[in-house]
Amino acid sequence: MAEPTTGPLGAHPAQGIRIEGLRKRYGRGDTAVDALRGVDMAVAPGEVVGLVGPSGSGKSTLLKCLGAVIEPSGGRMTLGEASIYDEGWRIPDLRALRRDKIGFVFQAPYLIPFLDVTDNVALLPMLAGRPNGESRERARELLAALDVEHRARAMPSQLSGGEQQRVAIARALVNRPPVILADEPTAPLDSERALAVMRILNRMARQYQTAVIVVTHDEKIIPTFERIYHIRDGRTHEEAGEGRGLE
Amino acid sequence: MISLAGRDILHGWGKFVFTGIGLGLLIGVTLSMAGIYRGMVDDAEVLLDNSGADLWAVQKDTLGPYAEPSNLADDLYRSLQTLPGVARAANVTYLTMQVRPLADAASVGDAAARERRAMVVGVVPGGFGEPGQPESLVAGRHLTRGHYEAVADISTGFRLGEQLRIRRHAYRVVGLTRRTVSSGGDPMIFIPLKDAQEAQFLKDNDAIVAQRRRSAANPAFNRPGQPQVLDAVLASQTQSNSVNAILVRLTPNADPNRVAADIRRWKHLSVYTRAEMNEILQAKLIATSARQIFMFLVILSVVSAAIVAFIIYTLTLGKIREIAVLKLIGTRNRTIAGMILQQAIGLGLIGFVVGKTVATLWAPVFPKYVLLLPGDAARGFLIVVIICVLASLVAIRAALRVDPAEAIGG
Amino acid sequence: MKLPKPSRRALSLLAVLIPLLGAFAWLALTSGPLAPVLVTLAEVEQRPIAPALFGVGTVEARYTYRIGPTIAGRVSQVAVQVGDRVNAGQRLGEMDPVDLDERVAAQDAALRRAESGVVAARAQVRDAQARRDFASAQVKRYEQLLVARTASEDTAEAKRQEAQVAEAGVALGLANLESAEQDLGRVRAERAALVRQRDNLRLIAPVAGLVVSRDAEPGSTVVAGQSVVEVVDPASLWVDVRFDQLGAGALRAGLAVRIALRSQPLGMLEGRVERVEPRADAITEELLAKVVFADLPDPLPRLGELAEVTVALAPRPAAPAVPNAALHRRADALGVWVLDDGEPRFVPLTIGARDLDGWVEIRSGLVPGTAVIWHSQAPLSPGRRVKVVEQLPGVAP
Repeated sequence: MAEPTTGPLGAHPAQGIRIEGLRKRYGRGDTAVDALRGVDMAVAPGEVVGLVGPSGSGKSTLLKCLGAVIEPSGGRMTLGEASIYDEGWRIPDLRALRRDKIGFVFQAPYLIPFLDVTDNVALLPMLAGRPNGESRERARELLAALDVEHRARAMPSQLSGGEQQRVAIARALVNRPPVILADEPTAPLDSERALAVMRILNRMARQYQTAVIVVTHDEKIIPTFERIYHIRDGRTHEEAGEGRGLE
Repeated sequence: MISLAGRDILHGWGKFVFTGIGLGLLIGVTLSMAGIYRGMVDDAEVLLDNSGADLWAVQKDTLGPYAEPSNLADDLYRSLQTLPGVARAANVTYLTMQVRPLADAASVGDAAARERRAMVVGVVPGGFGEPGQPESLVAGRHLTRGHYEAVADISTGFRLGEQLRIRRHAYRVVGLTRRTVSSGGDPMIFIPLKDAQEAQFLKDNDAIVAQRRRSAANPAFNRPGQPQVLDAVLASQTQSNSVNAILVRLTPNADPNRVAADIRRWKHLSVYTRAEMNEILQAKLIATSARQIFMFLVILSVVSAAIVAFIIYTLTLGKIREIAVLKLIGTRNRTIAGMILQQAIGLGLIGFVVGKTVATLWAPVFPKYVLLLPGDAARGFLIVVIICVLASLVAIRAALRVDPAEAIGG
Repeated sequence: MKLPKPSRRALSLLAVLIPLLGAFAWLALTSGPLAPVLVTLAEVEQRPIAPALFGVGTVEARYTYRIGPTIAGRVSQVAVQVGDRVNAGQRLGEMDPVDLDERVAAQDAALRRAESGVVAARAQVRDAQARRDFASAQVKRYEQLLVARTASEDTAEAKRQEAQVAEAGVALGLANLESAEQDLGRVRAERAALVRQRDNLRLIAPVAGLVVSRDAEPGSTVVAGQSVVEVVDPASLWVDVRFDQLGAGALRAGLAVRIALRSQPLGMLEGRVERVEPRADAITEELLAKVVFADLPDPLPRLGELAEVTVALAPRPAAPAVPNAALHRRADALGVWVLDDGEPRFVPLTIGARDLDGWVEIRSGLVPGTAVIWHSQAPLSPGRRVKVVEQLPGVAP
């Protein structure tokens, strides 16, 4: 297991991610729907928080705003030390932002089926312009850290669900993003594997000093969070979690 | 950076290659169609080349001998021979007919099966490189006897030494040629002129006997007390002193148009130069069928283009989720477009190589000539690439419209 | 970019693509304009050229006898059938004599009457002679009596007159006899003429021969000169041959020929040129010649049967020769293609005699042993890539 390295990509923020008064309105005029009505969140580096809420509560909208794939209607987002949204995007290249600063873990692993495990992970640094060798080296480090090193040359379709999810986590981590957004990462997994994934996320969060936001309504893993944001009607309420089950 | 297109192709190479081969077969058909069109045009060209003539003198006011029937007295060539500028003038007859090998009782069925439609060309035997004579042989020798020998195109299926039957006489095949065809693509069989004249106007035996009876029953011919009149009439009925055209070869420095004008003016014949003859064949004789093929070629090209577009579009749609993920994790549009474009061109390349290969392989099987020109292949390649690029543009547009948000749950 | 280690997938993809590209490249090089023209070679051979002529003719009889009546009439009988052999003088048939027989009978009667007239005239002469003899004897006796003066002068004179009358009677009788004989001669000649006419109606074979046609049947009327029966002399069968004027200059009487009858295309018959007609056919541009059989075949060739005649002309001494398929005309020069460092080069030639097997004598331009391009798959041009093969594809061995 390699030491976390720091570099241009991995410049770790002190603050993790911070959101203040984030709003999102879909549509215009009479038919407008306010999905987010002022969300406040703050996640420190190395911390794993849960984001739970019923369907239609604005979970996905929040995730998309955090993921910089839709534009919020107002509020502020700060990633690390940089303000990325302050009543408007502050970053010109959202794609690079997604690539370099945000890691994504999805409900389904969404690995690229035609790339092997190593290249699935190494693709991000490659896209960022890193040389292939260095990218693969970094990918292998992460795969080793996630105990899927032995499947490095396998194709995604040859992996089990848990292995796929670990590779997906490795991919999310490979560019040392200050924040990882995980969208129902444990939904298809049984309880044991779900907890295993949560353990990994926690370990990786600490190891790479990454803020992790896990969107879930999976009862199996909710108890593992130390801090949980409930979202309802476009607003968040913070409460303490149980923080157990990971040992 | 790794090649996403390459990896994708490698991942599903079976599908990719088979799609490429399928596309290739389609391109092969298109190339063959172009080859058939070229073949038709080339058939007309080689017909003119093989005749070895600079001028064609035919019956006045006809487009003969290929496009219209034309009959000339067979001693007219002598008067052409003496014109200034004329190196050689030779009679020639053309007659398209069914030709079959001479059969004994045992092989009648076989002979019937090997019956071929052929253009029987009557040439003056003996001369080498005389107008009308086949220029080069692939086997055997030229005609040496004045009768009952034949030089056949190899595509007739006749073999050296074999005997074939034209009308009443058996002809021994003494030589074989290649690519000597009529403008309709029928292989040629060269026989001595006198035999050909006879064959052209000779009826079958039953018809001759019936004709004799008819003449004998006609009191004008069968006069009592003058039996010789009937004999003379019957004899005159079987005579033929006509040919279809006179092929004229000019002396090296003669001006074809001037000689043609001379013949037109003084000999009262229609005369065509090589260029005019080509025009007649291309514009009048094969025009409709060639245009037919050409139309089909155009449609086939459009269909191929549409199919290429569909294939590439479908391949891209099949990857829409991966593309969404790629976009979400920050892949540049350029990279995604490049991936689709490279795959499309790769597909086009495989298709083109397969298409050209199969077209070349199956071209000899076609009953008529299929001419695959390298220029056509190059044009075809260019068109395939352009079509692939255009088709991929549609797919790229679809891919670029994929919302990266689709990758996230909602 | 570092090359990825070849995976199995990559290898299998290459396993498909490389043969495909190989086939593509191979086809591009072996067909199409990049491909070499396949040719076969022949050597210039030192060989005697036996030029020959080939002609086509029909079997004909030199002498044909068309036998028919000299005057118009009706055929009464034809005694022979087609195919019969007849001897000289044999009666072949007869024309209807109409009234000729009756006229002969009438003449017979006239003849008999004339003969009777002659007999009568002779009897008359004899009677007159008897009278004269008696009268002469009377005159002599009365003259003696007169001398003896036993008869009167008057009586003697009367007897003399009687004798003169008797003499005149004899002369008359003789004249009558001659007239009767003349008459008989006339009647006899007339009868003979009728008999000759009668004989003329019989159709008689002039020579021994073969009946080849029977043109009229009994009862039909024929005009003078129309034939009833045609007889040929089988020994005089020959072939009337037509040779193309092209190259037939060496045709001479006496040359040996081989004759193939159309009915027996494989059985070659020997023969020779009997004569070359001084007059050629201007319309068909052919020379005409008569060819006789060395031995008449049995069965006889049918009249009018087609015969192919090959005339062996005098062989020429051995000379360099090439197959005629190797000869090409290029910009009005006749020549052959030779291989020069693997590239075709055109060599103009002058040519001499040719034979029917396709060999052409070379007067100048090449020496024996030179390899020339014999057959080629496509027309050649200088510098065109060629490949020498044993046999061109598609030509059955």
